[in-house]
Amino acid sequence: MTKLTRRTFGVATGALMLAMLAGSTVPASAQTLDSVKQAGKIRVGMLVDVPPFGLMSTTGQPEGFDADIAAMLAEYLGVELELVPVTGPNRIPYLLTGQVDVLAAALGITEERSKQIQFSQPYSGLGAIILAPVDMEVSSFDDLADRSVGLPRGGSQDPVVTSSALPSTQIQRYDDDAGAVQALLSNQVDSLAVATVLVPQIEQMAPGRYDTKFLLYSQVQGIGMRPGEADLLEQVDAFIAQARAEGKLEELYEKWPGTRPADQQD
Amino acid sequence: MGFQFRFEPVLAAWPELLEGAWLTIQLSLAAMAIGLVVAVLCALAKTSGPKPVRVVVDFYIEIVRNTPFLVQIFFIYFGLPALGLRLSPGNAALLALVFNVGAYAAEIIRSGIEAVPRGQIEAGIALGLKPLSIFRHIVLKPALRATFPALTSQFTLLMLSTSVLSAISADELTSMANNIQSRTFSSFEVYLVVTVIYFAIYMLFSAMFALINRRAFSYPSK
Repeated sequence: MTKLTRRTFGVATGALMLAMLAGSTVPASAQTLDSVKQAGKIRVGMLVDVPPFGLMSTTGQPEGFDADIAAMLAEYLGVELELVPVTGPNRIPYLLTGQVDVLAAALGITEERSKQIQFSQPYSGLGAIILAPVDMEVSSFDDLADRSVGLPRGGSQDPVVTSSALPSTQIQRYDDDAGAVQALLSNQVDSLAVATVLVPQIEQMAPGRYDTKFLLYSQVQGIGMRPGEADLLEQVDAFIAQARAEGKLEELYEKWPGTRPADQQD
Repeated sequence: MGFQFRFEPVLAAWPELLEGAWLTIQLSLAAMAIGLVVAVLCALAKTSGPKPVRVVVDFYIEIVRNTPFLVQIFFIYFGLPALGLRLSPGNAALLALVFNVGAYAAEIIRSGIEAVPRGQIEAGIALGLKPLSIFRHIVLKPALRATFPALTSQFTLLMLSTSVLSAISADELTSMANNIQSRTFSSFEVYLVVTVIYFAIYMLFSAMFALINRRAFSYPSK
């Protein structure tokens, strides 16, 4: 989650500009698709510290939603897969300097990033919502007047809630997600501002007690590619369309709860 | 590559820090006052109460002194609502502090009470004093006088342990510091400022304790 803040993004753009300055030696990544086919291997950059998208398994292997997507992509292209762990700030420089062929790195599709790289169709998403007891009628910040909202200190939802909540809404900040969720479960707060990735877990702990009231923010994520490679983009988009049509994406959303794009949230 | 100190965003947030410091002071003072009453009652019960009361008080003291403070806070804040008692973060924090300091201070005062020579009490009886007067003037006062330094250090610890209360979103000083820190990323600077504030609060309390000591416990007794 913290990988996606504006600050880390700023670092990423800074690093990118450096890379560009350093840059005429950057391989003119003419045709990634050809070189991938030729090498028989695709290098996919993924994050390993943003569950459920990417994490390290107990045996030290990268796994998660993005790892599964990467494996499916490699299979679709008929090549072997090499997963390259990247970090939030360095993932775009890695792509642009040719260290990886594509990025499946929980990369939110934003206008600024679209100026530097090209994105596939959205294949996953994350966001934050207001969660509250089913029988509480809340559909906007106005309805949260005189009510309390719990949230983890410093989470991405904090600035959104702080700037939009009415003065009479009590914002209660807890040290982490666990504390905030516990506060909701024990009725210490009326509602919770929570990342969508946690919603399935809360549902599991208290089936049927809470539902999503409204969206705080959301982003959809696409597979990132070097710009100007129409044939690769076409292949990757076709792959995502096929995975969606065959229900494989759906299976992954089930396997890794909280990865479904917000507009497909049920 | 020197470290760039950025105190401006921290100092700009001084109203928040002040608010947090004020809550820390309020919570500490209230917990000391109520905790002292709880402690004296527990110490009295332990030294001269009937057996069943002694057992209950012993149980309370052992529970508190052998479990982490954070767990006690979580129990009071997250656990009690299950029993139908929903406390605000501030009240839950105060209850947890009183619950905690009461037990520690009870043991300190008990040791003072037990140190009062038997003959002194017998002298009181011989003079025809009522039991309550004997307890007040002959037992409790010397006991408090003897244990005052230990009590004040326990109370100082209490003031410092309020910093844990940020876990239940009580907006005391450390909680405010965490908020500012997560917003400005100037964590070192925030905690430096907060450390100074804690020290200032300690100095304040220290002066207060010295004053109480001089007024209430200095010889010759009034």
